[in-house]
Amino acid sequence: MIIPNRSEYLKQQARNGQKIMGVLPALYPRELLWAFDILPAEIWDPPGDILQANAHLQTTICPVVKQGLEFILKDPEIVTAGYLFPHTCDSLQNLATQVKDLIGISAPVYTFYNPKGAFRQATRNYYQDVLRELQTTLEQLHGPCDPEKLQTACQLGFKIDTRWNELQKAWMSDQLPVTNQEYFGLMRALEYMQPADYLELLDQVTVQDQTVIRNDTRLLVSGILPPDIETLSFLDELKVRIVADDLLAGSRRIPIVCMDPPYDPMEHLTDRFFMLPPCSTRANSLAERSHYLKTLIAKSDAQGVLFNIVKFCEPELFDHQFLVKSLKSAGLPLLNLETELQPGLSGQTKTRIEAFIEMLDDQVTA
Amino acid sequence: MSENYFASVDVGSLSTDVVIINSAGKTMSEVVLDTGVNGVAAAQKAIDLALEHSNLTQEQVIAVTATGYGRASVPFASGKTTEISCHGVGAHQLFPKTGTVIDIGGQDSKVIQIDDRGRMLDFTMNDKCAAGTGRFLEVMADRLELGLNELSDPSHITGKSARISSTCTVFAESEVISLMAKHTRREQIVNGLQRSIVNRIWSMVTSIGIEGEVTLTGGVANNRGLVLVLEEKLGQKLNVPENPQTVGALGAALIALRNFNNQHF
Repeated sequence: MIIPNRSEYLKQQARNGQKIMGVLPALYPRELLWAFDILPAEIWDPPGDILQANAHLQTTICPVVKQGLEFILKDPEIVTAGYLFPHTCDSLQNLATQVKDLIGISAPVYTFYNPKGAFRQATRNYYQDVLRELQTTLEQLHGPCDPEKLQTACQLGFKIDTRWNELQKAWMSDQLPVTNQEYFGLMRALEYMQPADYLELLDQVTVQDQTVIRNDTRLLVSGILPPDIETLSFLDELKVRIVADDLLAGSRRIPIVCMDPPYDPMEHLTDRFFMLPPCSTRANSLAERSHYLKTLIAKSDAQGVLFNIVKFCEPELFDHQFLVKSLKSAGLPLLNLETELQPGLSGQTKTRIEAFIEMLDDQVTA
Repeated sequence: MSENYFASVDVGSLSTDVVIINSAGKTMSEVVLDTGVNGVAAAQKAIDLALEHSNLTQEQVIAVTATGYGRASVPFASGKTTEISCHGVGAHQLFPKTGTVIDIGGQDSKVIQIDDRGRMLDFTMNDKCAAGTGRFLEVMADRLELGLNELSDPSHITGKSARISSTCTVFAESEVISLMAKHTRREQIVNGLQRSIVNRIWSMVTSIGIEGEVTLTGGVANNRGLVLVLEEKLGQKLNVPENPQTVGALGAALIALRNFNNQHF
């Protein structure tokens, strides 16, 4: 399995004349963009130092927002179809305003206001309204939305979701012979790949019929993004496997159960949104999140939880204290790591991870 | 049959410590050296000295566990364990009723909860900043032109205390300079520094809680003033080992012994 390099893949797409839209995290109707022949290129943690963005943002803004703005300020040539800002948190919403009204970039800026809170018929209706609103806005620049293309896009999205439901189960039950690095690399490749190319990539992953017997330490990871490549590789080295995830850039964007094939695109996209796992950015209740995590831990047989916290991430940090308390009271060992999305694994972080694994292994041998 | 011995090397940021124990867990020798710029050389020198002090040869030591930040680079180690596990095991050996270990080392400080067998139950560790560590005290002692012994004088903490930030070593140093410029008495500044380091540790203590007896380890445990401030804050007496600096190394040697026994018996 060879995962295409993000930057090279997008440059090649741009050279082929593909329209590319920069999409900030996290929840948006990717199928709608595909239907307009727009390739979403998600902007979570582009590499590089934060230089210009600091002049526009407070110091207590999270690095996802800062790095996102840094990327936009570079005015990358590959982004030809503007930027989409889903309403993930107040910081990203404010960033949309800054980029649109204050910084004044030439590319179009779109917003997408996800509903928050518990599911009700009114939230469902609201979600359909914002979907239609985005569709109408895109039509103004890209022409009418072809219903057949939208149906095909939903079919592709459905196939990807279904495949991921299978892969997640296989990963939990030790039937997927891939490393942590490969697993999360595969998961994150959808942030920039064409759906058809991505499905081909997923098809290269072989699910074993038999459980592969491993003596790895099993962890669940929660947070916004998976640990960086160096940390994942260090975990691979230590024979630690992340067997399940509760990540915004991961499983929180995959429906909790296999959905029915799409019948009506708007209904399908709405059903899909409300079948995503509970998430801090959708303001699901803490009780719901805690219950979901405990269920996932039990299902995956995880020995402990690694919270990979993006510094200053407002929605996630609101929930974090409660989740820690709830999981600790259930006797689940936890490790908190804070990331500023800069490469490099410090000696202190290595010590924390190793000590946590020693603690879990001691509990197993006790 | 000749007796088996077990050793450890704790390569810390400030000191490198070696402990040699026999198969009953009794300490045969212990050595503390400055790490300097070459941790590997310091480790070799420390083990050579420890062997010399205990009249043993390298061949008689059948397992060596490396710990500390330089644990991965000790060429003669047969295994490695983090200093967090080692401090738990070492503290349990010295004070079996220990439920909580506070380790204040050169560049790290940790609070570790252990069970009745010395196994880690939970831990927390300082973040990237050196506030609340031995390095913090070194910087401040230097600024005040005091030796570490003078800085740890418990008589300083009885009187008035200057207010000093507990969040950052660099900011705290600036505050100390300002206090000196205002001719604040040195005792008051020292008192403030001890309270600052304890406040920093306190935030870690509250994040995981206190269970059972509390044992203070690491070189900073030699600071008698700080021990008094910490006891006042905790509202309980601390267990302070005779050689707090070598508790991690003792734990590492005991882990070498335990691993050997697990493999062979």
